[in-house]
Amino acid sequence: MANEDKIICEHISKEFIQKGKQRVRVLEDISLEVKQNEFLVILGPGQAGKSTLLRIIAGLETPTQGRVLVDGREVKGAGSDRGLVFQSYMLFPWKTVTGNVELGPKLRGMSNKERRKITQHYINLVGLQNFEKHYPHQLSGGMKQRVGIARAYANNPEVMLLDEPFGQLDAQTRYYMEKETTRIWETEKRTVIFVTNNIDEAIYLGDRIFSLKGKLPGRMHQVYPVGLPRPREHTDMKFLELRHQITEASDLTL
Amino acid sequence: MTSVANEIHIRARERAPFSVMIILKSRWFLYAVSLTAFFLIWDYVAVSRILGSAMARPYEVAVQLNTMMTDPLAGKSLFGHIWASTQRILIGFAIGAALATPLGLLMALNRHISAVVKPLFDLIKPMPPIAWISIAILWFGIGEPSKVFIIVIGTFVPCLLNSYNGVRLIDPQLYDVVRMLGGNRGDEILHVCFPAAFPAIFAGLQISLSSAWSCVLAAELVSARSGLGFITLLGMTLSRPALILGGMVVIAVVAWVTTLLVTGLEKILCPWKRGVIDI
Amino acid sequence: MAYEEVKVKTPLALWILPILSVTLFFGVWQAIVDFGIVPETMLATPLEVIKLFIVKLTDPNPDGALLWRHAWTSIQEAFTGYILSLAVGIPLGLLMGWFVVAEGLARPFFEIIRPIPPIAWIPLTIFWFGIGISGKVFIIWLGGLVPCVINSFVGVRMTNPTLIQMARTYGATDWQIFTRICIPSALPMVFGALQIALAYCWTNLVAAELLAADTGLGYLITMGRRLAMPSMVVLGMIMVGLTGAVIGVIIDWVEKHLLAGIRR
Repeated sequence: MANEDKIICEHISKEFIQKGKQRVRVLEDISLEVKQNEFLVILGPGQAGKSTLLRIIAGLETPTQGRVLVDGREVKGAGSDRGLVFQSYMLFPWKTVTGNVELGPKLRGMSNKERRKITQHYINLVGLQNFEKHYPHQLSGGMKQRVGIARAYANNPEVMLLDEPFGQLDAQTRYYMEKETTRIWETEKRTVIFVTNNIDEAIYLGDRIFSLKGKLPGRMHQVYPVGLPRPREHTDMKFLELRHQITEASDLTL
Repeated sequence: MTSVANEIHIRARERAPFSVMIILKSRWFLYAVSLTAFFLIWDYVAVSRILGSAMARPYEVAVQLNTMMTDPLAGKSLFGHIWASTQRILIGFAIGAALATPLGLLMALNRHISAVVKPLFDLIKPMPPIAWISIAILWFGIGEPSKVFIIVIGTFVPCLLNSYNGVRLIDPQLYDVVRMLGGNRGDEILHVCFPAAFPAIFAGLQISLSSAWSCVLAAELVSARSGLGFITLLGMTLSRPALILGGMVVIAVVAWVTTLLVTGLEKILCPWKRGVIDI
Repeated sequence: MAYEEVKVKTPLALWILPILSVTLFFGVWQAIVDFGIVPETMLATPLEVIKLFIVKLTDPNPDGALLWRHAWTSIQEAFTGYILSLAVGIPLGLLMGWFVVAEGLARPFFEIIRPIPPIAWIPLTIFWFGIGISGKVFIIWLGGLVPCVINSFVGVRMTNPTLIQMARTYGATDWQIFTRICIPSALPMVFGALQIALAYCWTNLVAAELLAADTGLGYLITMGRRLAMPSMVVLGMIMVGLTGAVIGVIIDWVEKHLLAGIRR
């Protein structure tokens, strides 16, 4: 597998007009590259524009300046080659787990048999085997997010984008989901961009950490390669050294 | 969801298991007391003629109801009258909902359509449907069309409002989900708009239904020869309070049954809605 | 500096369309009567309605009273019924929400009354009270009663149980909890009832007046029909809508200022 860049962001800047009269600059001159099947973590404090950056890569927003290239082609809108996992799950409450996961293949006109096979495969992959007929309101937060991940995966995207997916979960569930994410990713490798404000999560999950600094507008800060073998230990010496390094370098408590 | 209702429950169970006070304060006992008191007071008022001869005893009303079910009134049996009223409601409701719901959806999806329709709607909205009765009679005469027209107006406003707001208040990120899965605008509308707005649309239908009941009764009171409102009016003109009260009882029962059916329908169609507080 | 003030203009189409739409509406309305598409006995032009409005400000004929007198009668009746329904419905609903005894005694009465639309009471009311004001106020009162009771009841039922438990740890009695915690906590729902009850009261007022009155806006509408004067009918309708809307705005203003700090 060639090691060229899967995703390139060139000098992305983004402005919004809020409440009809305030112009807000959310991102300032962000450039980054992501390699094929790499797990990149975007780390930053709240309000640094991380979600906006992810949405620009996803194609849901257009950058005010700069552009995003996926496989060398400029991103012009949302597409099924990128999958997005939302912070607030965004499951369809009127569909069951199966209904949610199979939506992507359904929209692409896949045959019933194929669709069912793929849907079941990903439901099993995220560990929700016996919950196919449950509705989202019957599931816990962690389970809902697993449905979200399965739904994004089932559409077979080349890139998975995760927007602070575990932000609404309690600490225990969060640790569990981090382990699960690593397991799922290692089973079916994709290029992943994962956004978080939690430094432990970033070091646990990522191959590289791309940190944004400061409040609006978010600017590039540092890139930290994480060379640790998986599965990682939160209490490992090297883990803690890297954690210390990152915390020192940033001006906010992480 | 725990609520004050549960609170009261828990308190009650913690007390001594058996005593007179428990029975006196138990909810069902109180209901029974209250119901009995209701009928006793009613009977007393009727017998002692506090309101003149304008009251009928519960027994008389029961007899009247029995008679109504077998003897025709003004040419129709009781069920004939029930059907007359229900028919008007169904037709008016169907027309009103069929016009208003898609219009509300379109208004929410397209800003230009909203800009054209909303100002007109805001002009019409504050006028209660009943205020239209006179002009409906001027236009359509005193037959069925004028009554159905009022019901259409009465259904139109809540349906439009609810389908408009139902779509407007959809979390925009739900559309993002469809776009990320490769859907186009049509997919967004089909897979997000309709199902997400459905509970609100259904609530609008429920409101329209109770509004339709009021409208049909009002229309029948003004000018009709059949229907439940007509029955009560007949009781008034013939000075037969038993008939008036009998008509009101039938109205209450029919309205109650319709509400039950619609609520049941909602449970079937929207299994994902969690119940809030039951009253 | 992250924020910058910027002026965003609404696109031209979005503010021209409403104006065009309303103008077209009135234009078509005026035209279909002027050109005889709709006979004059069935509909009056907007101009005729305005003329009648001006005339009615000073001329009591042909229906027997000046415009403001009709409006004032309607407002009086509606207001009396409305305030009475608040005065009875809200305390009743609040008590029913908390005290089992209150709920047990009141609920059967309420559940029996509830499915009957207030309009169905009109024949009975005419029979009891005749065509006077008390009958109409009774109907209006019935109309406002139901939403007041329901909203107050639900408002108390939705009190955060943690607050109640906290009060108990301080040794509060049932009555104290009711007055200090349940009632304030239920206020947003109660205020919601104000608007709903007003809408119901106003609708029932119009219905009651259509059938049994000698003054009032509803009477004006009926008179217009009897005299085959559609301009009077339309005038009545518009006055009903306008007055209802204005009262609604006033209630809204009162609510905003009384409930300023509490989130709905």
